[in-house]
Amino acid sequence: MEKKLKDLKEQFLKEVTEVKDSKLLLDLKTKYLGRKGELTNVLKEVKDLAVEEKPKIGKLANEIKMELASVFSKTERIIKNKQSGGGTDFDPTMPGTREETGHLHPSTIVQYEIEDIFAQMGFGVYDGPQVESEYYNFTALNTPEDHPARDAQDTFWLEQGLLLRSQTSNLQVRMLEKFGAPFRGIFPGRVFRNEATDASHDHTFYQLEGLMVDKDINIGNLIAVMKSFLSTFFNTEVDVRLRPGFFPFVEPGFEMDIKCLICGGEGCSVCKQSGWLELMPCGLIHPKVIKAGGLDPKEYSGFAFGLGFTRLVMMRYKIDDIRLLQSGDLRFLKQF
Amino acid sequence: MYLSLDWAKDWIKLPKDLETKQLALDFTMAIVEVEEVIERGANLKDIVVGKINEIAKHPDADRLEVCQVDIGDSVEQIVCGGINLSKGMLVAVAKVGSRVKWHGEGDLVMMAKTKIRGVESSGMIAAAEEIGLENLFPQKSDKEILDLSELKLKAGEELAEALELNDTIIDIDNKSINHRPDLWGQYGLARELAAIYKLKLKDYPNFELKGKNETKLKVTVEDKKNCFRYLGLAIKNIKVAESPWWLKKRLEAVGIRPINNIVDVTNYVMYELGQPMHAFDAKHIEGDHIIVKQAAKGEKFITLDGENRKLPEGALMIADAKKYVAIAGVMGGQNSEIGIDTSEIILESANFRAASVRRTATAIGLRSESSTRFEKSLDPVLAGTAIRRAAELILQLCPEAYIASKLVDVDNNPFKPVTLEVSEELINNRFGLIIPTAEIKDTLQRLKFDLKYKAKTFTIGVPSFRATKDISIPEDIVEEVARIYGYDNIKFELPKVNIDSPSVNLDHVAARDIKRWFSLSQKYYELYNYPFTNQAWAKKLGLELNNHLRVKNALSPEQVYLNMSLLPNLLARAEENMRWYDEFRIYELERTFDKISHGTYHTDDSRKKFLPKQDKYLAGVEVSKKSKEDLFLSIKGMFSALMEHLNVEVEFEESDIEYASIAYEIKYKDIILGQFGLLEDGLFDSNDVNVNVAFWQLNFTLLLKYINKVKKYATLAKFPAVYRDMAVVVDKGLKWADLEAEIVRISPLIRHLEPFDVFSGKGIEEGQKSIAWHLEFRSNDRTLLAEDVDKLMDDILAILQKKFKAILR
Repeated sequence: MEKKLKDLKEQFLKEVTEVKDSKLLLDLKTKYLGRKGELTNVLKEVKDLAVEEKPKIGKLANEIKMELASVFSKTERIIKNKQSGGGTDFDPTMPGTREETGHLHPSTIVQYEIEDIFAQMGFGVYDGPQVESEYYNFTALNTPEDHPARDAQDTFWLEQGLLLRSQTSNLQVRMLEKFGAPFRGIFPGRVFRNEATDASHDHTFYQLEGLMVDKDINIGNLIAVMKSFLSTFFNTEVDVRLRPGFFPFVEPGFEMDIKCLICGGEGCSVCKQSGWLELMPCGLIHPKVIKAGGLDPKEYSGFAFGLGFTRLVMMRYKIDDIRLLQSGDLRFLKQF
Repeated sequence: MYLSLDWAKDWIKLPKDLETKQLALDFTMAIVEVEEVIERGANLKDIVVGKINEIAKHPDADRLEVCQVDIGDSVEQIVCGGINLSKGMLVAVAKVGSRVKWHGEGDLVMMAKTKIRGVESSGMIAAAEEIGLENLFPQKSDKEILDLSELKLKAGEELAEALELNDTIIDIDNKSINHRPDLWGQYGLARELAAIYKLKLKDYPNFELKGKNETKLKVTVEDKKNCFRYLGLAIKNIKVAESPWWLKKRLEAVGIRPINNIVDVTNYVMYELGQPMHAFDAKHIEGDHIIVKQAAKGEKFITLDGENRKLPEGALMIADAKKYVAIAGVMGGQNSEIGIDTSEIILESANFRAASVRRTATAIGLRSESSTRFEKSLDPVLAGTAIRRAAELILQLCPEAYIASKLVDVDNNPFKPVTLEVSEELINNRFGLIIPTAEIKDTLQRLKFDLKYKAKTFTIGVPSFRATKDISIPEDIVEEVARIYGYDNIKFELPKVNIDSPSVNLDHVAARDIKRWFSLSQKYYELYNYPFTNQAWAKKLGLELNNHLRVKNALSPEQVYLNMSLLPNLLARAEENMRWYDEFRIYELERTFDKISHGTYHTDDSRKKFLPKQDKYLAGVEVSKKSKEDLFLSIKGMFSALMEHLNVEVEFEESDIEYASIAYEIKYKDIILGQFGLLEDGLFDSNDVNVNVAFWQLNFTLLLKYINKVKKYATLAKFPAVYRDMAVVVDKGLKWADLEAEIVRISPLIRHLEPFDVFSGKGIEEGQKSIAWHLEFRSNDRTLLAEDVDKLMDDILAILQKKFKAILR
């Protein structure tokens, strides 16, 4: 009996999917649910069942009846809507029409993403002047008077000893002066170098400087923060390594490399078979810089890093010519 | 900078099982970046010493010979065109399968067995340039093959082996050792290797000078400020000749072309110690007198390379009693060059102020091996070590030579000994790890620091070769210990700090909001432009180039002036994009630069002077096929919406802008926040431009002050509104703003007016227009009745009839 009911249900569900118009559907209803319908007939037999079986089979039979009725009415409504058309006799395979939208610059998109990651670690986002004094761009950063970086071949010089900032590091001392310690901040922004342009170099590009000053900040902290950032940004666990690097405003200074994300460190053409990609200079802030910021280097220490932001944007979107970013070409910009 | 491992073996013994790849990695991780590891013998694979047994004329070619060459295991037949072939000659044979540079040009090619004009030939008798040995064996002609007869070699021996060229060269990135004057010589690099591998480092020998005092050499340093030390020594009875093989080989390994024994020795010492040296031909030094002084304005001097160079005023020069003989630290002069007839020399080993050498080298455009080293602030002590070493080598190479003067030493070394007190705690705290005390001690001692340890504090004497600029503060010692101990050992741990939210940068929050608003709700494309203004467009907009901040060392004449407005570049980009699109909207948010006024950023810690004002602007351009009216009103509507979004109550006021056919100001109270308008026609170069162009700009820095985040909601209306329409015919010149002002004044029950149709022409008298609008009436305390509204409609009409002679339609 139970099997009979279940078979009946299967059979109905199978037949109903093949029905395409309301006439046939009505026939099907009569066949199963009508006064002399198959289900009705089965239901009639319930009364002849043994007493102990009656409630169980009765319940099942009723459930199946309800289900068939529900499927029937759903199918009926769909067929009705299809037949009447409701003014929908157009070609739905035509391409969708869409409202045009504007676009954020790809650098803006990546910048906001990075800002949000650092914001979660308590870093504020700040910016500052682009026309800068020698003091903040070099002197306060412990860059000696005769350091090659001050040369005309690296820096754009303006009148009155002013310059176009060559690094976002110009904000290190400005921010310490303004906010004091403890401090956590990032400074994204554009910087300028007096160098010829090609597909991978531009005279105007973007850096993202980071600075953290507090009590007892160490190298391990720097690595942990960067690892945390990079793993979130690249959405995968990344390995980093430090090796010695020299920059006047950090001591010790490092180059941070990231294990090649293409080959996972095995060595490939992207990482020149080394398994590592040079990512950014960083280090513990030089005591003279902390002092220039008006803090006591005996009390405070900190780290600084300078992310080659434009390069990250190019990596993210596989952009092979840096100059596209500032071309203003809408054919390029509309892709983001 | 090249490090030859063969050379370094003079002082250290590298672990036998150390692979060069690992050495390069360790070097990079603890010292400086290695660019490349060069196995010097690699290109000499399958190139062997051969002995020519027989020579016969090629039957079919006048200029070729057929040689039978003994290469140890076999005798091979090789066809060769060399002009110096002779029987019994020892030659370099590139066997089949080896790789050579054909005629010294192009890429390496693989040797194969071949027939040359019908005669079989297995391999090649090579010229020096074909196997990369042209520096060691200079060729007189490209037809000359390498003659090894003078060297006592065995036929069949691998050439690299026979010539002892199986050296490994570590190529170090020069930029990464700018701060390390001690790493510009082989000995300094060996010292680092000794530290990382804990090897014994042989002390550098100090050669005892013994000689006569025939030459009364005199050194006068006039410019003590720029010449820290000058040592001179005369050596007589030298014989200028070719250097011995071991010397040539080492120089060549580090990229120096051997010249003659004297010059080679000065170069050898420079590469060994990092100390540049110079040798003068003593017969050209007047009065045996060396004077160090500054050049006067406009003087010229011919350097060794034959160039007549204009000297910058104040350039430090080496002179004799009558003339200049060298540009200090940069290059020697032609007038005292070592030649084949030189028999007496004066050796110079000196130390000059880094900045002085750099300034001179830059001014004359000559960066030499010498100036490159002096620029790093060399240790003056080194000059003494170097001249002794050079004298030793010269006496070794010229057995008849003898020292002919006293060692003259004018020493004004300005560098004071550096002693640092460094607590062990500082090292461990900065490193974030406890390093065993013994390990710290061992590392520092291997790096030649002088150490005392007491009460958990190191008293550290910095060796003179690290004390000229490199090591000056305790943090420098942290780095020394940490890099040798290994950065890989650092346990990384997020900083433990108090949670405090950073101060919010309103500027930045607003910028993000506004950019999203424009890009995601207003169909605007965000552009990044260069800071250099487009001059053609600046002129079109009437911006005087002289009022712009100027770049003194611009890359090109187009990149001289800094943007005082964002519009010139935006309009230039708009013009370019017209090639691809006929309708688009673009904007930029960036700083502009004001030559005349000062902003709030101070120039230094005295906080008395301020940088030029560099307010951020938000500016945009819309290129559109809409009518001028529609375009203008859509821009106006956009600003109404934006200001509502920012909760800034602004007014729009007509304004005159020279490049606009119509322009309005955006004002908050009396403050002008920005402008918008339509660009005057005809400013675009292309003739077939059939679009209208709107422009706008807002002073973002100013706007920020008035963005109001405090917003209070208005209670929802309790009573229903009544809506009516009205249409009148009025004078065509009547402005909606005037009409609206009259109507709203009538009653506070009139809540809102919205024009929906303006029409003139057919059915309307000349000079008149029909204007229709929706009206909304509502009261806060009751439901308005039809009669109330009818009365108001009558009042409105009456006023309009009276004020504007309006006729109801």
